[in-house]
Amino acid sequence: MKKAIVYLNQFFGQIGGESTAGHQPAIKEGGIGPAQELNRQLQHAEVTHTVVCGDNYMVENEEEAVKQILELLSDKEFDIFISGPAFKAGRYGLACGAVNKAVHEAFSVPVITSMHTENPGVDLYKKELIIFSGGESVIAMDEDLKKLAVYADKILTNQPLGTAEEEGYHARGNRHQIWRDDQVCAADRVVDMLLKKIHDQPFESELPVPKRDNVPIAPPLSDLATARIAVLTSGGVVPVNNPDHIRSASATRWGKYSIEGMERLEADIFKTIHGGYDPTAIDADPNICVPIDVLRAYEAEGKIGHLYEFFYSTVGTGVTQSDAARMGREIVEDLLAVDVDAAIMIST
Amino acid sequence: MVKEVERAGIPIVQMANLVLVAKNTGANRIVPTISIPHPLGDPNTSKEEQWKVRHHRVGIALQGLTTDIQEQTVFAV
Amino acid sequence: MKFTIGNFLVQEIRFGANTSYKKGLLTINKSEALAVVCEDDHITEADLYLVHPGDDVRLLPVKDAVEPRIKLDGAPLFPGVTGQMVQCGEGITHALKGCSVVVVGQQWGGYQDGVIDMGGEGAKYTYFSQLHNIVLVADTDEAFEQKELQKKNSALRRAGLRLAEYIGSAVKTMEPEKMEQYEMVPVADRVIPLPKIALVLQVQSQMEKPGYNTLCYGWDCNHMVPTFINPNEILDGAMVSGSFMPSSSKWSTYDFQNFPMIKRLYQEHGKTLNFIGVILSNLNVESDQKERSTLFVVNMAKTLGIDAAIVAEEGYGNPDTDFTSCLVALEDAGIKTVGLTNECTGKDGRSQPLVYMHEKADAIVSCGNVSELIELPPAKIVLGNLQALARDGMSGGWADDELLGPSVRPDGSIIMENNAMFCGDQVVGWSTKTVKEF
Repeated sequence: MKKAIVYLNQFFGQIGGESTAGHQPAIKEGGIGPAQELNRQLQHAEVTHTVVCGDNYMVENEEEAVKQILELLSDKEFDIFISGPAFKAGRYGLACGAVNKAVHEAFSVPVITSMHTENPGVDLYKKELIIFSGGESVIAMDEDLKKLAVYADKILTNQPLGTAEEEGYHARGNRHQIWRDDQVCAADRVVDMLLKKIHDQPFESELPVPKRDNVPIAPPLSDLATARIAVLTSGGVVPVNNPDHIRSASATRWGKYSIEGMERLEADIFKTIHGGYDPTAIDADPNICVPIDVLRAYEAEGKIGHLYEFFYSTVGTGVTQSDAARMGREIVEDLLAVDVDAAIMIST
Repeated sequence: MVKEVERAGIPIVQMANLVLVAKNTGANRIVPTISIPHPLGDPNTSKEEQWKVRHHRVGIALQGLTTDIQEQTVFAV
Repeated sequence: MKFTIGNFLVQEIRFGANTSYKKGLLTINKSEALAVVCEDDHITEADLYLVHPGDDVRLLPVKDAVEPRIKLDGAPLFPGVTGQMVQCGEGITHALKGCSVVVVGQQWGGYQDGVIDMGGEGAKYTYFSQLHNIVLVADTDEAFEQKELQKKNSALRRAGLRLAEYIGSAVKTMEPEKMEQYEMVPVADRVIPLPKIALVLQVQSQMEKPGYNTLCYGWDCNHMVPTFINPNEILDGAMVSGSFMPSSSKWSTYDFQNFPMIKRLYQEHGKTLNFIGVILSNLNVESDQKERSTLFVVNMAKTLGIDAAIVAEEGYGNPDTDFTSCLVALEDAGIKTVGLTNECTGKDGRSQPLVYMHEKADAIVSCGNVSELIELPPAKIVLGNLQALARDGMSGGWADDELLGPSVRPDGSIIMENNAMFCGDQVVGWSTKTVKEF
């Protein structure tokens, strides 16, 4: 039998109502309240402990509360961690999210929870966590617990896991290909979708458009004439021997290459290894992608203070967003370390 | 990648041919290039012509770094 | 325009004295077939192999696949490429069904080449694993591109086209076992009270240099503006697959010859919709080219009075902009659209699926994730060169990786992205794959 630990707030943890919302984290043996019911529903795990914490305490002292909970769990053995269900209760949902995230990071065990779609915890944590789509209130308790138990049993016995839709959790923006059980081919699906769309009947796109996440605009440079400018490119320009072995597609690495003493990038020293476009032009004159020649001219005439003596390069095609973000962070760290004031990125 | 740099408070201008994609990926300062396989110089034109185009567009990019903007901006070339 | 395909259902292929067909058994005279392959001086070495569904055989680097066929009026199978310029899509063509000519490089692979596993776990990833395949493994003297990432593969691909026609000639004078008929009456006469539908095909044409792009009657699709084409022409050899774009996103010549989306629309014609025809468009690298093509597609659709359109994209990445822009522009013109494509969500599934997305592109059928990680055991027999996957920059393969190691392991097992599965995403309409949230 595998072991599960459950997280509940003060109310479901049977400490009390709103007046006890400041309660500090505590751990109790066995399952309490919903955890007891969950224990009944789980076929392959036993709820060994229940962690209880007041919603206000958690929200007002999140860092400290999470630390206390990890401390309480540090000497326990468990195979899965389950929070809630939190329904539409905002503070409780945020707590379940914060605790699950921390427990997963600290103990590398699977973590699951359940919330109603309007719970603010869903938006905040759905990308990182599996959050089952729960009911609005305690009336849905049995149903919500059942989804959690079924999925927990599947994970614990290494059974194949279904899609977010099949299992009933909130989509995380984590998309993978599958073969359809019904084997309906794409041509049939297109005709079906087209006819529905023509006749104003509801249809479901297989590729819903996700929401965009914009970054705040960085303040402009106050003085270009003293600024240190760095050049970045996703065009794959590298020294001809590609010393960092950057891949021509789905790159996971970036390189930083010296231009010290160079008035321009010479064709016999640099080339592009990008696989997504015709490389002829850039191979013949790499300045077409990494414009060192004109930047040196601007530097000489004093328009820019200083051109940073390395340029940064990777290949943009097919890179995962997380790799792109990681490489971005690594490059940023480097840019900050060498006091670069602004950057020009050339994409192909 | 552009977003990570911007997030760190370092102003960054993205020079890209596919302005739609640059906007879609969240770049805030954008300068159009002339094409994907040759962003800053058409190999079918003379070296002088290529230099002129490159000098011009990079100049706009540099100016863009000093421009105070309130929303995603595509600088005209 | 009336086009008839006389089908012969191949159940077995053998080498033998005469290239012939009898009751499901296709016999090929190997030396005669190889002589056809070697008509081109650029072919330096060549051999033929027969592989069957379930065989423990891995084929790579695969360049193209072609259905063996013959036209009864003596016209070339691929006008403008293998012979003179004549009209496709009229008259009778005989086809050997259930088999294909698969062209494999003996030595060198490239960005655009793919893998076919005939048996085991890997077989589910390609359409061609379920066919009896005549595998041409050959090398050429095209030394200029041996170390190039992008290869035209000209000699090999043309050899495949010739070989398909040679094998097809076995059934030229025979009575077909099964007939298919496709008739397109003139647009003006197609007055039926059903929604008028166009299929917009965005074929791969991103290379500026000649020799890499999809051909239409031998014409490089990079150098065309979108045009109206009779679907019969596509089913009858007007299109030859190109040599650019990661393999799983590509449409092989076989795919064009059998285009399931076209056949499906024919099937529906007169029942639920009025299939007006195909708008043949392309995929471009420069913004003004993209905009020009979109403009032509929309204008042609409006002129034809199209009510709803399907847009299919042969590729991903940069061409996603052509795809989404076209859907949006058609929607803006009041034409309802459905998109047909694949996605690139990354190995971790977390990346934006298309590089350009728009809320108006609200009806898309998705055929797979190009970057899905695939691990497969060694195959008993490899035809071609296994190292090509790791060595030659085949998209989906790599020489080494910090976490995953090399794509080709010493024991012959492989780890790769779906990208390298030969025409694996089957965007032409066969795909039973989709992409889901996990």
